[in-house]
Amino acid sequence: MEANTAFLLAVGLPLLASPVIYLIGRLAERGNLKIELARWLALIALLVDGYFLFIAGQAFIASNHDLLVSIGAVSLRLDGIALLLAAAVLVLGTLVTIFSGPAVARENGRGMYFALLTAMIGTMIGLGAADDLFNLWVWFECMALCSYMLVAFHHHEAPALEAGVKYLVQSALGTVLVLLGIGLVFASTGSLDLDEIRMAAHPSTMLLGAGALFVIGFGVKSALVPLHTWLPDAHSQAPSGISAMLSGVVIEAGLIAMLRSLGALHLVTVSWGALLLGFAAINMLVGNLMALRQTQVKRLLAYSSLSHMGYILLGVGAGALMGAQNSAAGGFFHILTHAMMKGSAFLAAGALLYCLHQANGNHDPLVIDDLNGASRKYPLAAFAFSVAVLGLGGLPPLAGFMSKWQIFVGGFQTGNSWIMALVVFAGLNSVLSLGYYAPLVNRLYRHQPAEIVEHGQSIPVFMALPLLLLTLGVVLLGFWPSLADGITNPAAQSLLMLFGG
Amino acid sequence: MTLSIPTIVTIIVLGLIGIGIYALLTTRHLIKVIVALQLLVKGAMLALVLAGYLTGQQDLGQSLAITVIIADTIVAVIGMALAVQVRRVIGTLDLRSLTSLRR
Amino acid sequence: MAETLILLTIGLPWLGALLTWAAGDQHPRLQHTLAVAFSLAAGMAALLLIPFGKDQILVTFPVGGAFGDFTFSPDGLGVFLAAIATVIGSLAVIFSVDYMRGEAQLGRYYAFVLFFIGAMVGLVLTTNLLLMFVFWEITALTSYALISFHNDDPKAVAGGIKALIITQFGGLGLLIGALVLFSNTGSYDILTFINNPAVLPAGALAWMAFGCLAAAAAKSAQFPFQTWLPDAMEAPTPISALIHAATMVNAGVYLLARFFPAFEGVPGWREAVMAVGMLSALLAAIMAMVATDLKRVLAYSTVSQLGYMVFAIGAGGVFASQFHLLSHSVFKALLFLGAGAVIHAVGTRDMREMGGLGQKMPFVRLVFVIGALALAGLPILNGFWSKELILEAGLEHGNPLWMLIIMLVVSGLTAFYTFRMVWLVFYGQPRSEVHAHDAGTAMKVALAPLALGTLTTWLLAGSFARLLSESLPAHEIAAHPTAEILLEVVTAPVTWVALLVIGLGLLAWWQRERLMGISKALTGLKNLALNSFGFEAINRGVVLGMQNSAEKLRDTQTGMLNWNVAYLLIALILVLAVLALGVG
Repeated sequence: MEANTAFLLAVGLPLLASPVIYLIGRLAERGNLKIELARWLALIALLVDGYFLFIAGQAFIASNHDLLVSIGAVSLRLDGIALLLAAAVLVLGTLVTIFSGPAVARENGRGMYFALLTAMIGTMIGLGAADDLFNLWVWFECMALCSYMLVAFHHHEAPALEAGVKYLVQSALGTVLVLLGIGLVFASTGSLDLDEIRMAAHPSTMLLGAGALFVIGFGVKSALVPLHTWLPDAHSQAPSGISAMLSGVVIEAGLIAMLRSLGALHLVTVSWGALLLGFAAINMLVGNLMALRQTQVKRLLAYSSLSHMGYILLGVGAGALMGAQNSAAGGFFHILTHAMMKGSAFLAAGALLYCLHQANGNHDPLVIDDLNGASRKYPLAAFAFSVAVLGLGGLPPLAGFMSKWQIFVGGFQTGNSWIMALVVFAGLNSVLSLGYYAPLVNRLYRHQPAEIVEHGQSIPVFMALPLLLLTLGVVLLGFWPSLADGITNPAAQSLLMLFGG
Repeated sequence: MTLSIPTIVTIIVLGLIGIGIYALLTTRHLIKVIVALQLLVKGAMLALVLAGYLTGQQDLGQSLAITVIIADTIVAVIGMALAVQVRRVIGTLDLRSLTSLRR
Repeated sequence: MAETLILLTIGLPWLGALLTWAAGDQHPRLQHTLAVAFSLAAGMAALLLIPFGKDQILVTFPVGGAFGDFTFSPDGLGVFLAAIATVIGSLAVIFSVDYMRGEAQLGRYYAFVLFFIGAMVGLVLTTNLLLMFVFWEITALTSYALISFHNDDPKAVAGGIKALIITQFGGLGLLIGALVLFSNTGSYDILTFINNPAVLPAGALAWMAFGCLAAAAAKSAQFPFQTWLPDAMEAPTPISALIHAATMVNAGVYLLARFFPAFEGVPGWREAVMAVGMLSALLAAIMAMVATDLKRVLAYSTVSQLGYMVFAIGAGGVFASQFHLLSHSVFKALLFLGAGAVIHAVGTRDMREMGGLGQKMPFVRLVFVIGALALAGLPILNGFWSKELILEAGLEHGNPLWMLIIMLVVSGLTAFYTFRMVWLVFYGQPRSEVHAHDAGTAMKVALAPLALGTLTTWLLAGSFARLLSESLPAHEIAAHPTAEILLEVVTAPVTWVALLVIGLGLLAWWQRERLMGISKALTGLKNLALNSFGFEAINRGVVLGMQNSAEKLRDTQTGMLNWNVAYLLIALILVLAVLALGVG
């Protein structure tokens, strides 16, 4: 199959499949069919899509040339960043689809769930590959639209509804700011094509303002502090598969949108990288401090996503500012490892939430006390959670250590004392984070199980499978970090070209 | 004093955005929040049209505006649907009651 | 051949860890057997590796990129520590067969012990600084997991997390060192660096030197990071013996010894090292004199003896420090396992409830006394020879005399608390009704070789010196035959002064009723020691400070949408301001 066609299909297939999945899902629900058609269709669509992406990606890596495709006004470019995001989205998305099968099995509207999930995956792949500023906004907005209903999926419960409403309002505000920024860029340079903008950009107040609007506008979605206030609510109230997607890829997609738009403006000022580094410091600290005192497991994980976004920002910020290859590669590597680890943690927490609460009919959140002794009844979930969480804390031989290491190396290689100090700060934050990750592991391996664990249901196979795969992946990348080089290095190079010229 | 079209439109844009932001900061009613968002989007959309006019690409500006309208309508619909559901499940549209998720 | 042995020494324990875990907790006997088998196999592989210590081989697994190549070199320093880790490791595992009989979740226990042993071997054999850091962190992970093995006991969990955080915090020093090395030279290779430290500019070298000192101090529970080791005593006693006496805590000393040729030229570094060692030795010895928990006394004594080793390195006596490391690993493991036998039999760690156990536990008393004599530094046990070598080193190289005097005083204090401990546990009248039985078979099998070792390892002095001198050219260690070393110790004036001080310490305990007056006068000091000289208070302060600021920060998440929007706008304004300033 020709590479460009494969690329086009990789972007388009989930979007085309989505309405089909919805219709068939509704019909299956109405007809009370035993087979969950929606979920299997979604899975098939994603697996096929993965195949297309593989072909396109291979061609890209082999030829070292961005793939360019356009339909009408929609122009797409497969470069390193796009490939990395698409890979992360598809891998995590497929596993989440498998996980969600049992998770939403008895809920109304599951056809819509799978349809929206598939569509969201498609829009994210498109977002990564967008070559035009307005296209970028449209993909971004479509991704957001898919996510609103997914976050508020449990719309008969007040907390989920509240989370969904606040998420919608803040996210919409963010997209408005981005639109204003686009307006300024359009008025100033007369074009919306990212390459043309890059060439026409020059230092001017309008473009500076546009850049600021991009940072804040996209920053809402990528959870920069203090724009993050929607995140703890949305990530903790959404169905656990969606939490995994949100923390694992959606906020990273927001970051990539920001990087694309700022890259087009890189001639305006060198400060973009410095801004990202500033936010990195704040994110790391606030995320860790807020997570320290949480009692609900999913809320704790949500706050910790803030600090991991901080590490990613450190990597890409140093890469953007100083052209540091290892920093950028490390940042992208951390996007991959964080998606795997945080995804695994959310899915494991979701599995426990399902078995301990939802399967027994109650809608309470999963609190830390529920974890006591859970390893006796749910060894796989407990092990997956422990591996994920210790990896997030940066302990070897797990993947999280390796990606953080690469970011640190890159930072020190820049020779800039501020960045080196920031690396030490990141190291301190890593140590601090163990203060709330480690106790969770201790609780899981208690001998005396909590009462709620004793009354828990058994874990469905399709919930256990993604946990197993993700755990294996985390350990594998921890021992052989260079396995990911094929994807992270091209992404780093794309970033450096975006910001270095 | 005759104001040129761009200046008028800029003032309108700034006005819409200003009202929208003010409303978002001060209102306690969920529907008013959604409306404020709509105002903001319309302001941004006008800005896009203006930009198209200023750079001599009015066609592009118009198609941008249409796309924004479509996207934003969907947001409005979802937002209103959620607001209706909030009224049903929580019983009120007052933002002060939507504070169970804190800290 | 060396390559295979290295892979086996690291790989066998790890394979054993996996298999023991996979065997399942329903088959404890299988788990015990597997653990013992694999740890013994690792021990044999490590011992077989020793002869290769003289050849300067390099084993390489290419990885590249930001991670360097994974290289290992079985030189003298590495192979002897690898041998200690695996041999004492297998003895601790054998001991565990009795000690952990009937415990739940054995798979987790043995898996982490074996995982630790492999990581420790890797740590000392590798010449890639990143890989050393990775193994360093893995030992921290396993140590934490084993300290908090009894997850239902809040003290154990707290102790484990405290150990983790403190050693991780110190470990940042090693992280910085590795980053500095790589960013300046493009390589993590330790050997090239040691042979030519001038590749680093002076400022960077200083950062690396002091960073490594901080990491070593945290790992070896030296001042000011010593607070985690006493709390780590919540771990099952074989773990205390293996990890917190004989191996992991030595990693810090190893680090300093390994990098000594590179850092000795950094202004102020050697003095700082000596100061850290001396303070740790002194403060810990005083705390050991007043502690009532048997394991805590041993923990403080470990800190103190490690202080001797650290002091020796700062003083320039790398051989002396490593020789004492060897002696200490053997006799401290012996003491801990002996204490474990006592605690297991009696059910308490409080020495005030013991007494007169010597009659009911003759074997344990015998081996324990041997270990105690070595700790106190009496001839002819291994502790005597190595401690004297350290004191001699303190006299050379133009080192400050007052530090040596303090170290001599600490020897006396060591004798005092050692005899106090032995007396309170094994002699006198039983102070409470306890059912004591002598050690089980597995325990005896573990204790006997250690006692034998305590009596004999000093005979290896000459061969050990030669091994180090031939394989560590940059360290400039002189190789003398055993007889010469021993003669040197016996004839040195310092030795006789030390023996005198030790004698005074003994006397002080024996005549303690008559010295009551002095004891009362020193009550203030005693209270300070009981409160660990304020370090625990600092620890608590830091933790509470963090938690309080975190609690206050939570209030920013108001839940009010209007506030959230406000934050957004404030951020926008700030960003615009920053940009305006940045460009203008």
